[in-house]
Amino acid sequence: MSSFLRKFNGRGVGFAVVMLVVLLVLNVALNPARFQPAAWGTLLGLAAPLIGAAVASAPVILAGRGGIDISVGPLMGFVNALVIQVLFLDLGISSPWIIVPTALLVGAAVGAANGALATIVRIQPIVATLGTYLILTGITLTILPAPIGPAPDWLKAMAGPLSVVPLALIGLCWLLVRRTPYYDLLMAVGSDDRAAYTAGVPVTKVRLAAYVLTGIFAAAAGLMLTSLIGSADPNIGPTYTLIAIAAVALGGVSLAGGRGGLGGAAIGAIDIFLLQSLLTTFNVSTYVLQIAYGLILVVAVVLTAVQERFSGRKG
Amino acid sequence: MTGNWFQSTNARIAGAFLMALLLQLVGTLLIPGYSAPFAIRALLVIASLLAVASVGQTLVVILGGIDLSIPFVIGFANVVAAQLYGQGWNFALVCVLVGVLAVAIGALNGLIARGLNIHPLIVTLCIGMIVQGAVLLWTGGFPSGSAPEAVSAFVSIGGSVGPVPLPLLVPCLVVLTALIVLVLARTAYGRRLYAVGSNPEAAPLALIDPLRMWVVTYAASAFFAAVAGVLLLGFTGSAYGDVGQPYLFQTIAAVVVGGAALVGGRGSYLGTIAGVLVLTEINTLLIGLGFRPSTVQAALGLVILLLVSLYGRERHVRATI
Repeated sequence: MSSFLRKFNGRGVGFAVVMLVVLLVLNVALNPARFQPAAWGTLLGLAAPLIGAAVASAPVILAGRGGIDISVGPLMGFVNALVIQVLFLDLGISSPWIIVPTALLVGAAVGAANGALATIVRIQPIVATLGTYLILTGITLTILPAPIGPAPDWLKAMAGPLSVVPLALIGLCWLLVRRTPYYDLLMAVGSDDRAAYTAGVPVTKVRLAAYVLTGIFAAAAGLMLTSLIGSADPNIGPTYTLIAIAAVALGGVSLAGGRGGLGGAAIGAIDIFLLQSLLTTFNVSTYVLQIAYGLILVVAVVLTAVQERFSGRKG
Repeated sequence: MTGNWFQSTNARIAGAFLMALLLQLVGTLLIPGYSAPFAIRALLVIASLLAVASVGQTLVVILGGIDLSIPFVIGFANVVAAQLYGQGWNFALVCVLVGVLAVAIGALNGLIARGLNIHPLIVTLCIGMIVQGAVLLWTGGFPSGSAPEAVSAFVSIGGSVGPVPLPLLVPCLVVLTALIVLVLARTAYGRRLYAVGSNPEAAPLALIDPLRMWVVTYAASAFFAAVAGVLLLGFTGSAYGDVGQPYLFQTIAAVVVGGAALVGGRGSYLGTIAGVLVLTEINTLLIGLGFRPSTVQAALGLVILLLVSLYGRERHVRATI
């Protein structure tokens, strides 16, 4: 266990893993019915949109120099509205072989637009994605003024027993990316873009690609959101944005770039989900929950930062 | 070089003011009554409220941070002021209490973000959620109470100051603007703010304590958010915990459209005022033309991208070596 932790420590995930174990044990002890093996599929389905949002937020943050994408949540909402209202209800398309590629393509396109704004037009990433945030929520509300349903059956199944499938695919995707030279370029740009540029790394292209990755993952998160709620709701997507970024930070990904990984982001997201789940088992008012949730999140992020500084000093 | 002038701060501010004026002209041509005295008064009052809420964001952005707790502090001040006044407290005392609490919240934001070196995005968000939860817990989700007559009159669109047909809020905002511009340009605090923002590593060498600057500036940000919350209480008449939510992105947008850089060290309150006017004009104009709020939001996003791509571009990595 200790060597396992040390291995993760270098990437600052250690604390998130400890928190994951503690929260999991507490959850299972306090609420065995909810956490019995038969319910794991559903549980994972519940956590999936947040995990997806956190994973999606990570690549642009890794790319450094203030890289951030606050349009991840609205993009999830947009994909949700697009899949249900336009593809499924208006055009009558229910085949996953059309819906999934279309959603991912739309995500890649929005990501590319974000990336072009942030790296070629060189608008500060938070401002550029604030622009797309407003545009995407505006368009989503225009094509879908009110919640509507249902969703195709295969998509709803993805939130139940099969919920591990989309997450596994995303994980596989990232593992493949990590085996390419692109991953090293991304981390190099994130750690020190000036040094990378001097060494001949095409900094702009690497960053642009990170935004495209974020867009694709965000679209996947949008699909998982759609399968979870089994309908389309214009107001849910944007709520994921900020909490996903908190999850990324909790998972040991430095918001300054170049440190951490998508696995850490996913663990951070699971931590947050387990924390919410644990707090709900204590039968107190939702207001107390919110305070406790905010407090624990602050403390957790503080501890992550402290631990990172500590391990940084040693190494 | 004209290119240089176009890149200068003054040109940006002048450009943003010109844009606001242009939008006003377009509105007057397209919509009957757009420049009627009452319409202009309403526009000025709405813009003034946003301007008060944006004071803190401007300071914090110059410092190199960002404050997401503004909407939560606005809601907190709004509800707490109404609730305590409704319970028969003296309103002056209520204001002092709300102000002190807000300053404490802001100081905590700055202390955690800078002292422990955690991104202010996350710190202010978490603190904001805690504040909101505490307010909800205290009121049980159903805030009651109202604003005293004086506050309502202070912000009322129909109000007037002597012969001038404007509520006291607007001239007060002009004075506030002058004060903030003066503080930023002529005091040690202002110089230190820009110094920490443009180079956090070099500032301590000039005997500036960055931690103190962060604590003071975030405290100021929360204080002005609280002022906006109390003013909004007078504007809407009753307490509402989520009254600040639209201000989350609007304050950032106003600051950015006004020419400040989110990396710190650049920006001015005059620019923010220009940004506030542009945003309010676009909103009023598009709603007046009969667009739905969702379309207006999308258009706002486009306008922000357009304006910032005109004058808010960052340098290429090549230029930073």
